[in-house]
Amino acid sequence: MEIALSKNGKRTLRGFFALVIVFLYAPIAILIVFSFNNSDLPTFPLSGFTLRWYRDFLSNADLAAALETSAIVAVLSSLGAVLLGTLASLALARRRFRGKAAISALLLSPLVIPYVVFGISLLLFFHAAGIPLSILTIVVGHMVISLPYTILVLLPRLEQIDGSLEEAARDLGAGRLRTFRSIVLPLILPAVVSAFLIALTASFDEYAVASFVVGTRTTFPIYLYGALRFPSRLPEVIAVAVIVMTASLLVCIGAELGRRAAERRLGGLESPAPS
Amino acid sequence: MRETRDPGERRLERSEFLKLAAATGGAGLLAGLGAGTAEARIAALSKLGAESGRLQVLDWVGYEVPQLWTQYAKLYPSEKPQFTFMTNEANALGKMHAGFKADVVHPCVGWVKDFADSGLVQPWTPSKLKNLLSLNPSMVKAGQYKGKQWWIPADWGFDKILYRTDKVKPKERSYNLLFDDRYGGKIAWFDDINQLVLAGYVLGFKKPYDQTDAELKQSQKLLISKKHLARMLWSSETDMQAAFASGDIWIAYAWPADWVAMKAKKLPVAYMTPKEGAISWICGLMLGKDSSRVDHAHAYADAWSSRQSAQWLEDNYAYGHANTKARPKDANLAKVLEVANPNALKEPHTHIDRYYRRRSLYAKLWDEVKAS
Amino acid sequence: MSSNPSPAPPAARRRRRLDPTTPGLLSLPLAWLALFFLVPIGFVGAYSIDALSLYPGAHALTLAGWHDLVHGSVYLRLFWKSVEMSLIVSGVVVLCAYPLAYYLALSGTKRKYVLLLILIAPFLTSYLLRVLAWKVILGDHGVINSFLAWTGIRDPDHPLSQLLYSRFAVMLVLAYVWLPFVALPIFVSLDTLDRRLLEAASDLGASRLQAFRKITLPLSLPGVVAAFLFVFIPTVGEFVTPSLVGGTGGFMYGNEIVDLFGNALDWRTGSVLSLFLLGVVAALTLIFSRFLQVQRVTAS
Repeated sequence: MEIALSKNGKRTLRGFFALVIVFLYAPIAILIVFSFNNSDLPTFPLSGFTLRWYRDFLSNADLAAALETSAIVAVLSSLGAVLLGTLASLALARRRFRGKAAISALLLSPLVIPYVVFGISLLLFFHAAGIPLSILTIVVGHMVISLPYTILVLLPRLEQIDGSLEEAARDLGAGRLRTFRSIVLPLILPAVVSAFLIALTASFDEYAVASFVVGTRTTFPIYLYGALRFPSRLPEVIAVAVIVMTASLLVCIGAELGRRAAERRLGGLESPAPS
Repeated sequence: MRETRDPGERRLERSEFLKLAAATGGAGLLAGLGAGTAEARIAALSKLGAESGRLQVLDWVGYEVPQLWTQYAKLYPSEKPQFTFMTNEANALGKMHAGFKADVVHPCVGWVKDFADSGLVQPWTPSKLKNLLSLNPSMVKAGQYKGKQWWIPADWGFDKILYRTDKVKPKERSYNLLFDDRYGGKIAWFDDINQLVLAGYVLGFKKPYDQTDAELKQSQKLLISKKHLARMLWSSETDMQAAFASGDIWIAYAWPADWVAMKAKKLPVAYMTPKEGAISWICGLMLGKDSSRVDHAHAYADAWSSRQSAQWLEDNYAYGHANTKARPKDANLAKVLEVANPNALKEPHTHIDRYYRRRSLYAKLWDEVKAS
Repeated sequence: MSSNPSPAPPAARRRRRLDPTTPGLLSLPLAWLALFFLVPIGFVGAYSIDALSLYPGAHALTLAGWHDLVHGSVYLRLFWKSVEMSLIVSGVVVLCAYPLAYYLALSGTKRKYVLLLILIAPFLTSYLLRVLAWKVILGDHGVINSFLAWTGIRDPDHPLSQLLYSRFAVMLVLAYVWLPFVALPIFVSLDTLDRRLLEAASDLGASRLQAFRKITLPLSLPGVVAAFLFVFIPTVGEFVTPSLVGGTGGFMYGNEIVDLFGNALDWRTGSVLSLFLLGVVAALTLIFSRFLQVQRVTAS
């Protein structure tokens, strides 16, 4: 009785999904294996089990500091980008104005700039404006980069929501703010969360722009690319990546469990699920 | 820097964080900022006389380890240098061009004139550098320009040919092995404009670093015609070593450290000095033009030049060091760096990397090779 | 951080003309981009004609960089090569991501958010390291070739060497990198699809295929277009993947730009190439964003 998918179709898609998961996780599995491998270089054959790289990481304050910097930059720039992206998407989806096509093209244009070029030009700008390089300058750059991604996630969602809902709320006397809070926001919340996650991952792993506008606090990708210069530093970095991966998976799973628990408490109430 | 960071740095970070909080709407959090920093600054100021603040070092990742400047740390224990990382010379030049005030920057020898001509650096004062006398004279000379010592050599290595002795039988000791049809698909070139220089040496030109238009055309033609034989162009040692160790490549343009690493992997490898002469890269320290900590910078460069720092670099990173008194513990490395040979870095045995008068043209031609 | 979208007082009542809150909504994002994106690009523009230069001293303004772009065959050829590779990658990725998103959004699975997270989670591992891992998989003695040798399908002395350091490797790794990223916008647009439309279609006797063609596909098209842009645009300027797994044949337009800034110290030509890329892709975005709007009109 499901119109979207037949039984066979569902089975086929599930199989396809499983295949893709294998495809996505194969390199991760390789990394996990090599994070325990007793050799500098990630090549077969394996040369024995070791926890050395994890121990090295624990005693490496620089690496930990770089991770911390990246986390701060990622969270701040994603929050900023989602805020800006929500504002822009609301205007694009709900308002009529002249030059909309041009403005939306402008809003999406950071997608197209090669990051090296953007990094250099941002650096020149900060210099001309007398702004010293710091963790803030990376945040500024990453907000620009992430903004179009958040719009591309939020806009389609907003466009699918029936505008008459909002009009009805307004007709019933709700103010703009109230309409947004009680009608629009709950409906776009999953998209907001998606946008935040995309911005977060994009920033956490961004190298080219950060390498130019970084101050004295280095980010993880910069540390990582630099570490490639010395093969002996690679395994430690792989171990860190495995830790980051595991930790973030645990956080995600925890959040999902929490959400389910909350849902159960609310009973059958159909609430849009924040993932 | 495997130690806890000092409280001054922590406070600085916190202040940045607070500024950001303010900028994003949380104004008012700024109260009380920096209350404790003032005293620390004053204390440091009185101690160092006219020079103040921490030495700003623009360097590659991996060179921030304190073992490389122990002597400096002893001299100025409370003023740890602050490191900003460069990804290559152009990146560093870009940063300094955009106003980053580096006291010390770490370009390689081919870039000395580019930096000097950019007006962003100034010459060193040799009399303030005690350890300069222990450094390899050929290398020191490579850092001189217009009668001044602009650059102090530090880490270095050869560019020669690494190959698997069980798979590859070279016809002669020559860079030509990189162009050998018999081993198509098993060869790694270096992703750098100096491949044109190498081609120039193979073709027997007089000035491979400053070829004439006709010569450059010939060098480029050689590379383009042989490009299909190369499997990869490596840009980091990790990349190349991984490919070599896994058997994807058998022949590579490589550094001494790579030979040592493959030996350690128990691969049958040779590191061949070509008849055209080895090429050598050397990186070193330059002094920022507007440095307000000139004495600190000299102390730092001198610490880098010390035997202890040299020894640590050789033993831990398998790079050579300009200090001729240092001897790596690893006998293989000592052999391959030719530490016992006083003429190791002299012409015609070895060609030290040098300035490209027409860097842009070389780069353009090399890009055409890659795009072909 | 509060997400107050309309700082302007809700006094406005005219809804059909320019809404006075519109500037309120748009001013912050536009100002941000103007300051931290357009102005910096202005600097690139200045470098492209030597109005600014890396080296001190006076310079005459010149269009030589632009002349080189148009008349030097290398740059444009590289550009088209990159566009072509980018089109293939984006097409393949969107085709693969659509069924994934469809399965998550419409199969009625209870665990869709968990599955979605599983899809995105690989993103949290550094891109560079995942690319390095691919080299271990694709190499001559890597996972795949070892498997082929073990099963006797291929002679171990003649491994499938085209797997790594080739154009194929670049496209495979790019597709790998983008796939989860692209599934997201499609998922979002499918997940919000009003199922009653499908039920109504079914009641009216439409088959699944018809319902898909007439309802699901058109309604999810904005998400698909967004997804396509997600991949296509950044891939044209891509440079890290080609330099790591592309071998000698993977050199792309983005690498050229990086080299001009990074090795050649030729900021002028680098700036010209960047602006050209920017211009072409901005034009494409403009066309696509019109298309997005058209979709909205037909959908409502």
